[in-house]
Amino acid sequence: MGIYAEPRFLPCGDLALSVEFADEISHEANARTLALEYLIQQKALSGVTETVPTFRSLLVYYDPLVVGWDDLVASLRALCRQARPDVLPPARTVELPCCYGGELGFDLEAVAKQVGLPPAEVARLHASADYYVYFVGFTPGLPYMTGMPERLNIPRLVQPRVKTPPGSVSIGGVQCCIYSVESPGGFWVLGRTPIRLYDPSSPDPILLRAGDHVRFRMIDRAEYDSIAAAAVEGRYRPRIERP
Amino acid sequence: MPTLLVHDAGPQTSVQDLGRRGSLRVGIPPSGPVDREAFVLANRLVGNADDAAGLEATLGGPRLEFADERWVAVTGAAMPVTLNGATMPRWAAFEVGAGDVLRLGPAASGVRAYIAVSGGLDTPPALGSRATYLRGQMGGWQGRALRKGDELSLGPKVGGAPAEVRGSLIPDYTREPMVRVVPGPQDDRFTKRGLATLFEAPYEMTTHSDRMGARLRGARIEHTRGHDIISDGVALGGIQVVGDGQPIVLLVDRQSTGGYTKIGTVCSFDIGRVGQVKPGQRLSFKRVTVGEAHELLRAYRRELDDAIAFPSP
Repeated sequence: MGIYAEPRFLPCGDLALSVEFADEISHEANARTLALEYLIQQKALSGVTETVPTFRSLLVYYDPLVVGWDDLVASLRALCRQARPDVLPPARTVELPCCYGGELGFDLEAVAKQVGLPPAEVARLHASADYYVYFVGFTPGLPYMTGMPERLNIPRLVQPRVKTPPGSVSIGGVQCCIYSVESPGGFWVLGRTPIRLYDPSSPDPILLRAGDHVRFRMIDRAEYDSIAAAAVEGRYRPRIERP
Repeated sequence: MPTLLVHDAGPQTSVQDLGRRGSLRVGIPPSGPVDREAFVLANRLVGNADDAAGLEATLGGPRLEFADERWVAVTGAAMPVTLNGATMPRWAAFEVGAGDVLRLGPAASGVRAYIAVSGGLDTPPALGSRATYLRGQMGGWQGRALRKGDELSLGPKVGGAPAEVRGSLIPDYTREPMVRVVPGPQDDRFTKRGLATLFEAPYEMTTHSDRMGARLRGARIEHTRGHDIISDGVALGGIQVVGDGQPIVLLVDRQSTGGYTKIGTVCSFDIGRVGQVKPGQRLSFKRVTVGEAHELLRAYRRELDDAIAFPSP
């Protein structure tokens, strides 16, 4: 386990390759991945058509009629040497209101029992942490986040749920997950945010980005309902801090 | 306003163009036609740009009424085409007039047919594309498959002319295709025998296949140490092999990332052929290097550029 001395370049068919920095999930491996993507964008690297950052690797789509494998790998290798965390612009912090427990956070009581804390304390602990978004994907707008308080580390559900509502703020293992669309899943649902992480009708349909920090603000049901109503009409914008 | 009126939508018909680019990094797939070649040829036949929006019909076709004169072409799956009840050619451009009704029947072979109309469909673009992303309810017509009664706007007419795809280039979907695969990115997570298995016996298409992925059934592919990886990006054509050792080829509406081993990737120029294999039909895989794949891609593009014949008047 660890960061490789040299990144690996793995073929993904005729139109893509994966640049892999490590065989671990870590801030360092992820920061290099995001930095490489940023440098590719800044330099508008010839032939690159699209990039997809993940925990520790960057999927690079390219047009082989514009740039061949050898030239592309050489350019990427050079960029990898500069791909340090300090090249990245300062991260944003996005505040998500979250209503814990009750019918929106239907697993809060069960989680509280498992970790041996009162439900209100589980919610407080969860909302007090600073989360970091490694990447966004799998389904539209779904953030893969780290930063969970260790005390809340519990195994995922034995029997995954068939449907979890969008906006569900949930935990499992060391991960905190916010469902962006209704989907099956094995996470414990602590609460729900009225903010839509994916809104297909919006010109800017995705809220979170790789590298963002996320903080939760505890709200009650009345505030949840009023924000949800405003969000549907496009009248609510979540607080985003840009340093 | 010129429109296309949907009398009957067929099993699953959606608006597609060549897809959206740049949104995989936030989890939104490109969408677009599964069989890009058939789609592009339909557009070229009617004089459209390659990325003009048209229709993808699955297993069976729609019944559509035109409001003005247009050129139309139907390519892809062998769905019988009629205009006001009269049989019309496939893989060729023909003219329609106001009030004419175009109908596509059930596919005799192949899965997906494409309908191009000169001027293209003018539905509202989402993130720069008119392609429908069905699961994400984005793009196309209201983010969904067409329904009876929908009325789609058409773009301004472009000049049409009689044209047909050269016979030698029309695929025979009744045949078992052989598709080219570049091993990787996780071919090192399979035993030597596991990797060889993929390229030996053919695999059968199952009914659990859609625009997201083609689920196949066949000889079990052996892993070295489990099927989980640290989630990474999933390229078009990625062949994901999960715990049961069965392959899934990921298509245009795929998840952007995934946590399963990918033994290889089907080359872009053979994806369309995968999308035309009916459940119960089989396909086989052939191993190529990245260099060979790029040569094949060049040859394929040249062939595509020379695929249409314009008969002299």
